[in-house]
Amino acid sequence: MTRSTTVAPPRPEVVTEAIPRRRPGWVERATSTDHKSVGVLYVGTSLSFLTLAVVEFVLMRVQLIVAIPLALGLIGYIAPLQIGSRGVAFPRLNLLSFWLYLAGAVTVYGSFIYRPSEAGLAALPPLSDDVFSNTSGVDAWIVGAGLALLGFVCFAVNLVVTLHNMRSPGMAWRRMPLFSWAAALSGYLLLVIGPVMLAALTMLFIDRHYGGVFFNSGDGGAPLLYEHLAWFFFTGSYMLVLIVAGGVISDVLPTFARKPLFSHRGAMLSLLAIAALGPLAWMQNMYTAPIPLGFEIFAMLFALVLAVPIGLLIFNWIATLWGGTLHLRAAPLFALGAISSMTIGLGGELASSVLPVGWQLDNTTAAQGDTFAVLVGGGVLGGFAALHYWFPKLTGRTLGEGAGKIAFSAILVGVYVYALATFFAGLKAQPVDIYKYFAGNGLDGFNLVASIAGFVLAAGILLELANVAHSWGHGLRAGHDPWGAATLEWFALSPPPEHNFDVVPDVRSAEPLHDIRRAIRERTEGWQPPAPAKVPQAGAREAEPVSGDAPEGPSVA
Amino acid sequence: MVSVRHPRACSRGATYLAPLVVAGLALAALASPAQATVFGPRAGHSPNADDIRTAYWVAIAVAALLVIAVHVFLIAAIIRFRARRGRAPRRFTAGPGAFMRPAAPLVLVAVGTFVFGIVMAGKARDVQPTGSQGLGASRGLVAQVGALSVPSDAKPLAINAIGQQFLWRFEYPGGRPGDRVFSYGELVVPVDTAIVLHVTSTDVIHRWFIPALGGQVDAVPGKTSETWFRADREGVYPGQSTSFSGSSYSAMRAWVRVVSPDAYRQYVQQKRDDLAAAQRYVQRKVTQNAIPGLRP
Repeated sequence: MTRSTTVAPPRPEVVTEAIPRRRPGWVERATSTDHKSVGVLYVGTSLSFLTLAVVEFVLMRVQLIVAIPLALGLIGYIAPLQIGSRGVAFPRLNLLSFWLYLAGAVTVYGSFIYRPSEAGLAALPPLSDDVFSNTSGVDAWIVGAGLALLGFVCFAVNLVVTLHNMRSPGMAWRRMPLFSWAAALSGYLLLVIGPVMLAALTMLFIDRHYGGVFFNSGDGGAPLLYEHLAWFFFTGSYMLVLIVAGGVISDVLPTFARKPLFSHRGAMLSLLAIAALGPLAWMQNMYTAPIPLGFEIFAMLFALVLAVPIGLLIFNWIATLWGGTLHLRAAPLFALGAISSMTIGLGGELASSVLPVGWQLDNTTAAQGDTFAVLVGGGVLGGFAALHYWFPKLTGRTLGEGAGKIAFSAILVGVYVYALATFFAGLKAQPVDIYKYFAGNGLDGFNLVASIAGFVLAAGILLELANVAHSWGHGLRAGHDPWGAATLEWFALSPPPEHNFDVVPDVRSAEPLHDIRRAIRERTEGWQPPAPAKVPQAGAREAEPVSGDAPEGPSVA
Repeated sequence: MVSVRHPRACSRGATYLAPLVVAGLALAALASPAQATVFGPRAGHSPNADDIRTAYWVAIAVAALLVIAVHVFLIAAIIRFRARRGRAPRRFTAGPGAFMRPAAPLVLVAVGTFVFGIVMAGKARDVQPTGSQGLGASRGLVAQVGALSVPSDAKPLAINAIGQQFLWRFEYPGGRPGDRVFSYGELVVPVDTAIVLHVTSTDVIHRWFIPALGGQVDAVPGKTSETWFRADREGVYPGQSTSFSGSSYSAMRAWVRVVSPDAYRQYVQQKRDDLAAAQRYVQRKVTQNAIPGLRP
């Protein structure tokens, strides 16, 4: 933001600084109901688990513990700022959601130390039933996943209510930044898919401990019921990662191309279509199950229809770059890498959602390669794009650009090579989830290449995480508005005060900060401040109302 | 926001699209299914496996074309519209109908692949009649074919494949129920003969998958899945379960040994005799009270 005056009509309001606290910093961090503090907790915890996951080399199981909470943390921090709100609707629920997630994640990870669940990634019964998995590992998985999910649902309740009720004046849904729109969609999505999985987990727990027969075929239950419920959730959470990554990219690209999004409305409708149609393709994961062919065709329909909104969204992004002036900083680099990686993965998904192809490729590493490209492309590359973009807002410092670009290269190459090598191995029918494979299948080369690519990828992620840790305290100082973006989070200070904005901004378009800058320019050109001492600093805190100067301008702060 | 259509974007687009289509077709021709290639599954040896491969090549060509198109435009946009000194962004946004042109091919792709998928799925599931080299004796056997559609003039050989941790049991037709010929691990079938498999499980969920002989089907306890194949030449076809089933899941393999009809008849007769001999042996030992731990 330029150094100049912002003016606003006089309006009765109490302008406060933060209330001074006397408790220790860590107590404050653990109990603060400020949405930004909770957001930082989410981001920090999910990145810690990402570090752990990289060290363990089990990236595929991190969807629930890393990808979703990283997305939710950024949403929790940024979305209220983007809609010009001073807080969230249910701050305590928001804080509770984090502690539930942490308890769940620690429970799942703790079980790895003493007794891991040996029932697979989705814990499908009957294998996860007490007859075949009579250990506490599965219980830890059920309880841990359940706690984390309960947290996510609580988070979603707060998020949806906040986005509905606490938008600043003029912030219509159609003007909402794409990231906040993606936040709203993922909130609704979690409200739909979260309880479904919670129900499935509860039933599984009852089956295991209280003689229930929900999933026990011998007693009239149905193992397929759990598959339906679990795949509905996992497909929905896949879409959630896709949508949030899409929201991040839709905010980052226009900022660095110095150009508005090609079609704001188009991107909103694309994301809405993905959220609404995507989870309905859940039976795409059950092509081989004994279900009627009509069910499989139903799933194929929704999987293929998704090509239209996703394709239009990518078209929207490319058209946004077209004619712009792209500044290739680390944030847009990660965003472009995410587009590329997700496109490759979604291309593979499109092919294997065609029915006979799915019969051949499902549960081979070919399908795993597709999913990997989408989720790591969206979750890790998109997540780091968001971190590079909003890091100055979180900390007042920039995330190291040089290390970021090196990490980007390693991650991108790692994702490409790993995804392709596993895809080709899957074409030769290598199954998923095996810890050994048999000689003479011609798979050695693929697996060697995939392992090397995995190490390159892990090195890139660790470098970027070290970059985050270092820049948190030692990064270059950034201004309050380092990118010249169009959205309201950059109107606040960096890091924002507890109440975000002293003056709640009025919104007149989808690019409110551009309006504010323009208004400032127009005023300063023909109007000089009365005395130099009264010229405020850049940023929102000093944007004090100037009495007697409140005509109707294009935008006022 | 003033809506301005960018006049040059589309004409430029066409110049990028032409070499793209050529490249895509060249790639499809290079990676033809006839030859062994890294880009596709290994050759199939059953009509339904061939249908799956046809579907794969078409679907992957469509997907590759889309992916390449996105990357061509993306890279072009990044190279052409980098920030340079003295260049200002043209701040245009979508005019009315701006999405019509990209939406049309996408809808076409979605609808086309959908219809294609239905057609190929039906084709792959239809049980083909037994060929001229096949087992003629299977005419007398009745097949329970469930959801699969079977031509009325051909009775395929119906075999039960029962998954359990961590191997497969196969029950061959003929004999009384409960007294059928069975084998473990290796399924022996006659060549050029339609085989209908009834796949189920006695414990957890497994998955039947012989890559050269058609797609995967789940073995779910309490449910029966059907699949079929007609092997076109003799040999051993390996496969592996692809559904995680516990600690030794990685070792849960299966083999289909395809033999001539005569060899198949001999195999079944041999198995029947062996089983009868084993039954007699056990009966004798029981009556002699010679089985350790077994008290009458």
